[in-house]
Amino acid sequence: MMNVRWGMSIDLDKCTGCGACQISCMQENNMPIFDEDSDIPKRVTFLDLMKVTNDFEGGKKYGEVQTAFIPKMCMQCSGNDPKNPHPPCVTVCPVVATDVGDDGIVSQIWSRCIGCRYCQAACPYEARVFNWWKPRYEGDFKQGLNSDVSVASRGTVVKCTFCSHIWKRERDRAIAGGETDINKVTYTPACVSACPTGAIVFGDLNNPNSPVYETRLKNDPRAVRMVHSIDQQPENERARRMRIKDYPNPKVYYLSSQKWLRDIISGFQNS
Amino acid sequence: MKRTLLLILLPFFVFACLSYIVSIRICDYAMAAQPEKPLHFNHKSHGEYLQRLGAGDCELCHGYYDNGRFMGTPAIGTCKSCHNGTTAAEKAFFKGYNDTDRPWGSYAKQPDLVYFSHIAVLKNTKQARCSSCHGDKKNSMTTKKTDRIMGKMPMGQCMDCHDALRISNKCLVCHD
Repeated sequence: MMNVRWGMSIDLDKCTGCGACQISCMQENNMPIFDEDSDIPKRVTFLDLMKVTNDFEGGKKYGEVQTAFIPKMCMQCSGNDPKNPHPPCVTVCPVVATDVGDDGIVSQIWSRCIGCRYCQAACPYEARVFNWWKPRYEGDFKQGLNSDVSVASRGTVVKCTFCSHIWKRERDRAIAGGETDINKVTYTPACVSACPTGAIVFGDLNNPNSPVYETRLKNDPRAVRMVHSIDQQPENERARRMRIKDYPNPKVYYLSSQKWLRDIISGFQNS
Repeated sequence: MKRTLLLILLPFFVFACLSYIVSIRICDYAMAAQPEKPLHFNHKSHGEYLQRLGAGDCELCHGYYDNGRFMGTPAIGTCKSCHNGTTAAEKAFFKGYNDTDRPWGSYAKQPDLVYFSHIAVLKNTKQARCSSCHGDKKNSMTTKKTDRIMGKMPMGQCMDCHDALRISNKCLVCHD
């Protein structure tokens, strides 16, 4: 039985916005890379690198303006109760193309998707992308496709699965080495291994020795979760709101020492 | 009246028959029901001989790489590890047969969306056998499809086993 719950923490103070995570993600998951990034309908990316600034209203003076980059992928929501996960996208899928795994990863089977895009509407993070066109690979990109991931055809919704095929690969390697306990298998998603500054850290949220132990992250004043404003509420208010509504409860934590950035990410000011 | 009815229904009937035949053909093509087998390999005689030598395991030819990946159909080099090519028949065979010019088809091909791992299924604490999916391949004399008992591996067959052995049946276990 799986006891691991994979999670991620992204240190935005370390992030330089180089975009290596985005490129490696697309290469790993067989997504075509376009040189024109502004062509939104053609663009299929699991990991969005967003540029934000504290001057979006204008009027800040020179020297006060700050910018930051936010890598945004699927947050692998678990709903209010992580033991019985109910992500918003899984509930609405009519064909069971998306499901929650034992390790808390929200899967998406592209070949099973009928393209109704309910999940895209239900996703609070816009982490899901719809393939409007057939993937067009430039040059000899097609020869280097990853055989572990199926190529998404036109008319399907795709999303990040924390590179769970790498977990399967590592599991096979562990079994070949004589290890049969799947809880001891560890892996690194493509974006994490590509990050040159070590801003993205990946691990087990349940394990106290892991760098992303959830209890430690929840008490960290730098940590914030995206558009999850109830984290800032007091304990009893949070419990009251969670009785009324199912909150996404994402597994990706953002760390930042800048208060304006934390406010933008959490959406606390506008809630 | 009866004739009119027949005339009206006949095109529908013909169309249904035709579409049935076409869909069967397409399914056969997509699932590689008639793969190319360049030679009739006798699993039984090889298995019995290897068993006498004390190595009657499928893994001798259908083994794993170091990273746990399944090797699949063995290449001609695996045959050469035993058949050294001294007899005239062997000489003629090795001269006329190459891995590249005649591809060896497979009945047991999984679709693209499945991440099927042989080592995870077989080298587990709950061990399955090769024969649980591939049928009695050990005693098969030819490479014809009639030798196979189990047929194609539909998802329900995997799920039944997973249910019975209390292994997780979540999508992410096998799909990617």
